[in-house]
Amino acid sequence: MHTRYSSRQLFLSLPLYIFILTALFTFGLDILTGDLRLWDLMLLAYGGMFIYGLSVGAFGVLGQTYLERRYGKDNFLIGMPFLLPVTFRRAFLCMYLRDVIFYSILMLLPALGGVALGAALSSHSVLSVLLVFLGLLVTFLYGMSVSFLISVLYGIDRRLFLLAVGVLLALIAGYGLTDLYGLELIIPSIGYQLHARPFQMDWGRASGYLAACVALSISLLVLSLLLVRPERAAIAGTHREMFLQHLRRFSRFPSPTLLAKEFVDIRRSGLTVRMLFAYVVPLVFLSFTTYYVNHGLSIPVGFNAVFYGAMVGFFGVLLYSWMTNIDLNDYYETLPVRVPQVIRTKLAAFFLLTTGVSTLFVVAISLMNDEPQLLWLALIVLYCTSAYMVLATAYLTGLSTNSFFFNPTILTKFTAISVLPDLLLTVLSFSLQEGALWAFAGILGVCAALVLLSAYFYRGIERRWGNVGFL
Amino acid sequence: MPAIVVEGLTKRYGGFLALDSATFTVGEGTFFGCFGPNGAGKSTLLRLLTGQMPPTSGTAEVLGLDPAKDAVEVKRRVGIVPEVESPPSYLTVSEFLRFAGSLHGVAQLDGRIDRWLSFFDLRGAEGMLCRDLSKGMRQKAMLAAAFLHEPRLLFLDEPFINLDPIYQRKLRDYLLELREDGRTVFLCSHILDMAQRMVQEMIILDHGRVVLRDTVSNALARGEDLETLFLRLVGGGNGLAP
Repeated sequence: MHTRYSSRQLFLSLPLYIFILTALFTFGLDILTGDLRLWDLMLLAYGGMFIYGLSVGAFGVLGQTYLERRYGKDNFLIGMPFLLPVTFRRAFLCMYLRDVIFYSILMLLPALGGVALGAALSSHSVLSVLLVFLGLLVTFLYGMSVSFLISVLYGIDRRLFLLAVGVLLALIAGYGLTDLYGLELIIPSIGYQLHARPFQMDWGRASGYLAACVALSISLLVLSLLLVRPERAAIAGTHREMFLQHLRRFSRFPSPTLLAKEFVDIRRSGLTVRMLFAYVVPLVFLSFTTYYVNHGLSIPVGFNAVFYGAMVGFFGVLLYSWMTNIDLNDYYETLPVRVPQVIRTKLAAFFLLTTGVSTLFVVAISLMNDEPQLLWLALIVLYCTSAYMVLATAYLTGLSTNSFFFNPTILTKFTAISVLPDLLLTVLSFSLQEGALWAFAGILGVCAALVLLSAYFYRGIERRWGNVGFL
Repeated sequence: MPAIVVEGLTKRYGGFLALDSATFTVGEGTFFGCFGPNGAGKSTLLRLLTGQMPPTSGTAEVLGLDPAKDAVEVKRRVGIVPEVESPPSYLTVSEFLRFAGSLHGVAQLDGRIDRWLSFFDLRGAEGMLCRDLSKGMRQKAMLAAAFLHEPRLLFLDEPFINLDPIYQRKLRDYLLELREDGRTVFLCSHILDMAQRMVQEMIILDHGRVVLRDTVSNALARGEDLETLFLRLVGGGNGLAP
């Protein structure tokens, strides 16, 4: 399906693109990271890979989502047990393995090659790079397994799902607020990294943690397969009127009908729950990690409220991608609506949905880090990066975000658009601790540029998607 | 004024010629049939006429508008039932009708929604999500959404598919009422005996080309029913020509 949005050659050039990008990134790591300490960087990489795994592995909800859709000419693996003598467990196992292979071959292995080449050409140890990569790969699998189990629980009983998310959040909060256990209790591969190069060379403990993480990933996978229930129970009951209620609520907005439908979709598709799971949980995870390292270990880390403001802004891409994937858009072809109108409506829904949550988060992180003086700047950064990232994503990918990200041309543009401001804001936010005025000015300058570019992307949506259909 | 004017309308998908220089006119108030074997270009033609995609070349005019340039306005004025019934998954049936009616700017929507829920016997399902409906119920929801704003021109792609015989009959009777009322209907269908009872003028497409432009009464006067005519024109390759 993804190749539909690019040519076959272009799609297959994605690994090459990742190889080149990671090689360049590794080669220029020292310059790019500036004052960022190695452990900070490692924490970001492990956290990022865990979150990536979480976002990939939620197969438990696919049974419902995919089977109910009518793609016509497409057959999905998840639909096989209905047509062929294959059990659902086997189909889900295939799906898990398929994604492990897909992401490993298409992204992780090319990334490894790129990082190894970059390391060989620079001062970094190739062995250290390989060991870090191994840890990241296991972290990705672990994230997938955690996500798979929690999504399976969601399919069984919402209360079980909430309990699982609650336990995860409690573990994160416990880690942040107390010094009873380390981060390796939540993500064992971090324990491996702490004891492996480039930090230490305690091979015994490192391999113990690595084995524990692999065993835990497999156990969670097996448990998920034992529990999975993709068959839809008889839930075809009646639903309370929600559309009219939202239509009245948004009557003063542009396109109230589309906006009302968007919110009904979000509510009924369970996107708010997914948002809680894969948007709020990672944010809470990161904030408590910082809090613990700052206060529990009394090690000053560079992550401040401004850094988090930027981070949350960049997280928005994931949510917008989900919003474009809630339902098919075929029926819009029969109605007097255009693609740019629907894109703009999704953007409005995105901002209505996330502004409150992300503002609360940045206010909380600024208070937790004892940085109320940075709050104003953190909020400016948050709003500017949020708008910039989601508008850039909408401009580049329209209503097929996930699929267009498999098109290397689009991905290259997206990387160029996102990485530069991200790096600039990260480096500048780290310099704020020294009270450097130039850092303040620099951040405000970057934000101003982001606002201008956001306006360009917003206007470009009409130009780029105005003559495109929904099918 | 003609409801539809098509001149040299052509659509290519890469190297595949889906529609080849179609030229015909549909008068206002005509019940018009578009027939042809699978892959003949019927759905492509319907999608071009309703502004769902631009043509490669040629022109079309629908109610005086160019669907390639004024797609939204065309869709506002016509009713469309696509080949695949795909109402929005997370709206209930009555919410879907309100959604469609609201986008079409229909006033006094409650009464209209009630009428179509009753017509298609969707009362018991009005609170069900469209994703939970059977194929036939989805088709009824799509039909109701297309009829809700009482358009002057209807584009129907296989509207009888998935309907049980009771509702096939009910729909046919309603479409005949529309014909009497002077509304225009553009129908693509494979159910030729049903179509023969409604359609006045027709085209038959084969491999993207219009191979016949005629009235049904002319064909009947020649002693050919629609099925015989169809098989004579396009069934030869399958050994089905009479």
